[in-house]
Amino acid sequence: MASSRKPDRVPLTGADCFLRAFDSEVRRMAGSSHLSQLILRLGPGLDADALAKLVAETAQAQPLLRSPIRRPLGFLPPVFRTDLAARAALPRVEVHDARAGSGDAREVPPLFAARLNERYASRRGELLRCDVVRYDGGSAGSDVAFTWLHMLFDGSGSERFVRWLDEVGRGLRSAGELPDEVRAAGAGEPAATRARGDLALRWRARMKAFAARAPHSVAGPLRRARQDLRFDLTTHTRDETALIVARAKRTAGFLTPMLFYLAASVRAHHAVHHARGVDPGSYVVPLPVNLRAKGGQGEIFGTRISLVWFQVFPEQAESFDGLLAELKAQRLATIKEGLVEAGSAAMDFARWLPRRFYARLARDGFDGELCSFFFAYTDEFLPGMTSFLGAAIENGFHSPSVPPSPGSGAIFSIRDGRLNFTHVRQEGVFSGRELELFRASLRADLLGE
Amino acid sequence: MSWSRDALTQRIYEILRGELLAVGDEFTPQSNLVEAGLDSLAVTQLMLAIEESTGIWVDEGLLTEETLASAESLAACVHGQLAQA
Repeated sequence: MASSRKPDRVPLTGADCFLRAFDSEVRRMAGSSHLSQLILRLGPGLDADALAKLVAETAQAQPLLRSPIRRPLGFLPPVFRTDLAARAALPRVEVHDARAGSGDAREVPPLFAARLNERYASRRGELLRCDVVRYDGGSAGSDVAFTWLHMLFDGSGSERFVRWLDEVGRGLRSAGELPDEVRAAGAGEPAATRARGDLALRWRARMKAFAARAPHSVAGPLRRARQDLRFDLTTHTRDETALIVARAKRTAGFLTPMLFYLAASVRAHHAVHHARGVDPGSYVVPLPVNLRAKGGQGEIFGTRISLVWFQVFPEQAESFDGLLAELKAQRLATIKEGLVEAGSAAMDFARWLPRRFYARLARDGFDGELCSFFFAYTDEFLPGMTSFLGAAIENGFHSPSVPPSPGSGAIFSIRDGRLNFTHVRQEGVFSGRELELFRASLRADLLGE
Repeated sequence: MSWSRDALTQRIYEILRGELLAVGDEFTPQSNLVEAGLDSLAVTQLMLAIEESTGIWVDEGLLTEETLASAESLAACVHGQLAQA
């Protein structure tokens, strides 16, 4: 559906506001913004200047890409002020030149992780930036990172954005035409009814129940440390990926492989806690669930997720199969009990509440922690898309930021038959030995070694 | 109520089309469910709706590429479970 209306104010979704609460906390505690990032590793053929021009053209046609986020009157739900976008700067696109290294695999530029530690002026519409690293002038390929304030898109939306950008660049659609955007003024604003309030309270009760055995992240609670994120990318071979995917489907279910990756991630963190001789209390982990209508192309803008929250105990993490069975049971119970919807209702109320309310709710309940670690499984990365603006996509993955506490995020996706695992981590949280343990545990569980 | 395979197909098709998937007229009882957008959340919601209609909870282990190939193939799977119940 083409977007013909361009409202002056576009409301943030409840999930946007939930993330905005964490953005506020990260700003206060760690000096940076809560960002996310998508990275494309391209073969030769990208015209970086054309990309810069394209980003500028689309940002002019789609004001959401540079709309200041403001809270009207200081207390009404926050909005993207598209009417002020024209005054905001266009998204920055920077081109960096580098020499191609020897060997087949090139390192992910450290610049990209450094971009996750920046602070965006959302009140001035600074929402998105793009970095291109050209190797040997582009003849040996390029790496492209889109980094954005997490309220602009979610992971799924960012892939749609890249696909749309490519279609605009190839002249298949105009920059003013979005594939399936439905958010307009007033749309997506759920009423704060009593029924929604009851749902939100049910979610809160569930979170409070977790506090009986509160989680302790590997970073420790409430770190007031400058954000210094790094990430390690592990790309499995096609043969390994085929084994892992088959194992995930067999053990976790055809449509629920994310539980397999979650179980492996819990145990990798557990290996670190165990080596430290530290009681993790419990592992509390949120699993993002995409709430877009199933079957359509889906919207680009806005965070359109709810969260399925899991809590497992150290003794349950001792056995992979036992842990997986527990996660499956909890996922089913969560959906059956309507807690996905309850989570959405709770996030909707975040639109009205002070930003610090939600972070405090979690941290007060969990002795200063938000959760044990961040986790996401986004399935196929840009399925069916083989090139970006004429350059072959050799690989691609997500690297969202993680606050200094919990300090660790496990992100999985599959590109062209190869599993990518991105471990986003605050520098200093894991020792070298602990990282080795973490990787060894993960690999053993993924491959069933 | 006893369910014939055709009635189950129709019920599953109605749930998918009316409640879970944003699909057009091209979606039929023979359409591939995963290609039509069925995901992990939607499949569980579908199982809950089937349980509400038939009283049978379909074991998630039975949800495979083959059984989720279409509303028809899923109905055959549910019908098999009903016969055993």
